[in-house]
Amino acid sequence: MEQSVLHRTLRDIAAVLVVAIFMFPLFWWALTSIKPMYAIFNKDHVVVFDFVPTLINYAVVLLGWSRAEIAIESGSTFGVGGTSSYDSRQTILDSIIVSVGSTALTMVVAVLAAYALSRMTFRTRTGFLNWVLGQRFMPPIAIIVPLVLMYKAAGMRDTDNLFMGYVGLILIYALMNLPIAVLLMKSFFDDVPKDVDEAAMIDGATRWQTFRRIVLPMVRGGIAAAAVLCFIFAWTEFLLSLFLTTIIRTVPVKITTFVTSTGSEWGFISALGTAAVIPGFIFILLVQRHLVRGLTLGSLKE
Amino acid sequence: MASVTVSNVRKTYGDVEVIHGIDLDIADGSFVVLLGPSGCGKSTLLRMIAGLETVTSGDIAIAGRRVNGVHPKDRNIAMVFQNYALYAHMNVKDNMSFSLKLAKRPQSEIDEKVGWAARILNLEPYLARYPRELSGGQRQRVAMGRAIVRDPAVFLFDEPLSNLDAKLRVQMRTEIKELHERLKTTTVYVTHDQIEAMTMADRIVILRDGIIEQIGSPLDVYDHPANLFVAEFIGSPAMNLLKGVVDGNSVRMDSGVVLPLPPERNPGQGRKVVYGVRPEHMGPGTGTGIKATVNVTEPTGPDLHIYADLGGEEICAITSERLTLSRGDTISFNPRLDRIHLFDAGTGKAIT
Ligand SMILES: Nc1ncnc2c1ncn2[C@@H]1O[C@H](COP(=O)(O)OP(=O)(O)O)[C@@H](O)[C@H]1O
Ligand SMILES: [Mg+2]
Repeated sequence: MEQSVLHRTLRDIAAVLVVAIFMFPLFWWALTSIKPMYAIFNKDHVVVFDFVPTLINYAVVLLGWSRAEIAIESGSTFGVGGTSSYDSRQTILDSIIVSVGSTALTMVVAVLAAYALSRMTFRTRTGFLNWVLGQRFMPPIAIIVPLVLMYKAAGMRDTDNLFMGYVGLILIYALMNLPIAVLLMKSFFDDVPKDVDEAAMIDGATRWQTFRRIVLPMVRGGIAAAAVLCFIFAWTEFLLSLFLTTIIRTVPVKITTFVTSTGSEWGFISALGTAAVIPGFIFILLVQRHLVRGLTLGSLKE
Repeated sequence: MASVTVSNVRKTYGDVEVIHGIDLDIADGSFVVLLGPSGCGKSTLLRMIAGLETVTSGDIAIAGRRVNGVHPKDRNIAMVFQNYALYAHMNVKDNMSFSLKLAKRPQSEIDEKVGWAARILNLEPYLARYPRELSGGQRQRVAMGRAIVRDPAVFLFDEPLSNLDAKLRVQMRTEIKELHERLKTTTVYVTHDQIEAMTMADRIVILRDGIIEQIGSPLDVYDHPANLFVAEFIGSPAMNLLKGVVDGNSVRMDSGVVLPLPPERNPGQGRKVVYGVRPEHMGPGTGTGIKATVNVTEPTGPDLHIYADLGGEEICAITSERLTLSRGDTISFNPRLDRIHLFDAGTGKAIT
């Protein structure tokens, strides 16, 4: 009994330690975001907790406060320079639209394609794996120049049309995510026994009804998992969004503009970085109740 | 209700033919078992009847209508799969009513039918449960409930009991048989278990490597196997099969042991035959007869199984006598002459 208490305690300590190690950067980032300027830039010692917390960094990136307002609030103009605007409200909105849009598009196409790959036989079926591998071999930087030209020609780059900008990024993210999403969804469909489809067909369901009412609900967990992956990719992607659009600045691109010729605005960077965690967090919260294992449990013998 | 007719049906996968021209008539209301070792094509044949596999050549008709190109849902059949194939995301009630909902039947009829099926199958307390919350036997019943609510013309079962434990298997066997007695729906039942086939079937169709070896009632195939394959496959413990040469009114084994033939059987002097006797017809005793040496005995309760060495071959005999035998004892056999099977050693066909 005593030993098992010791055992448990040690295990709990180990768990807390591991979580702490992984959470520390996030914690430090969040902490930095509420530090006033003097606490971030202190050449004498590292300021951990001995500062007066401020929300000024958030006011700038999330409410669009001007330099004058900052100066008044902080009572000093130290470090408030550069020409960039730090208002990131449009950026966050753009990132949400592009990430949600591309995830939705990817999942619709991937689910349909994966079902076909899992259940039907057709000639080009075997080419699929090559497509996935080929796409993985090829880093985006290798094709960025032709892509830029194509986007230009298609009117999705160097345009004032915000809508075209969204379409452009949604399309390229969907394309980047598709192979892996299809591969993932195919493995989830493969886990649903074909007997279930056949039973539904004998019960009188058409192919579409079988898909929609029987198989799709059984891969709910897979859809949630794949959607999270796609969302995270789109939310954090930098290169394509930097090159393929001029009108949209997604969060990762926007943050780079906080590194200016007169210094890096660590306060604003950390505020936007911390704020940027939240939409992804909400998205995962929304889908995580579907992320339960064993949805097909009970369909089969154990 | 309907008859099922299979005429000269073949099935090839790529270059491999797995069903080699099968003819089969299944009468309206009968319970037909397709029996054969694993891989002989039972499932393939059943799935062709269901419409889940295409027919390479030949015809399948249900209730006199050719159904070769007909979608499974339009064949008016119901199928129970080996692994149940339940809809995991639906509760028992929804599993059973799915087909009726698709057919847009009125809710009152759906409730009535599902209630009726649940009563028959003792599923009433479980209607709100999900498949994962049920035991194997209950899942099997849900799969059957899903089939019977539709009131189909033909039931197709593909090894429905092989995932259950032995005790449950015996119980479900009886339940399926009772269900058939009650509904009188034409049933095609696939199994590799000859006991299941014997106990449930009106007629047994014995398959091997995509061809039919014999069709008959259970007792028919047991008492009059058409060939060596059927003789060996049906019956447990299996029929004793001893090679020999006809010599007058007996069969002489290579080892010199002489096996008696009934006087009216005369397969021809010098013919190479296989002499078959079921264990229960061996007539073991201690008096005169064919001498053998006891290897091992297994009491089963009602019977005693005796394994003995007869001229270098191990044979089995069953008796309800309480004989006390031990290894090395000499035992004598007097096979029942009217229950002797003779097969041609070359072709394996029964000699009548
Ligand atoms: N889809 C398929 N492709 C190729 N061969 C198959 C396929 N399905 C079944 N077979 C072959 O057909 C034969 C009969 O299979 P099956 O009907 O499943 O046998 P059983 O149900 O009697 O065990 C087997 O040799 C099997 O390998
Ligand atoms: Mg089979």
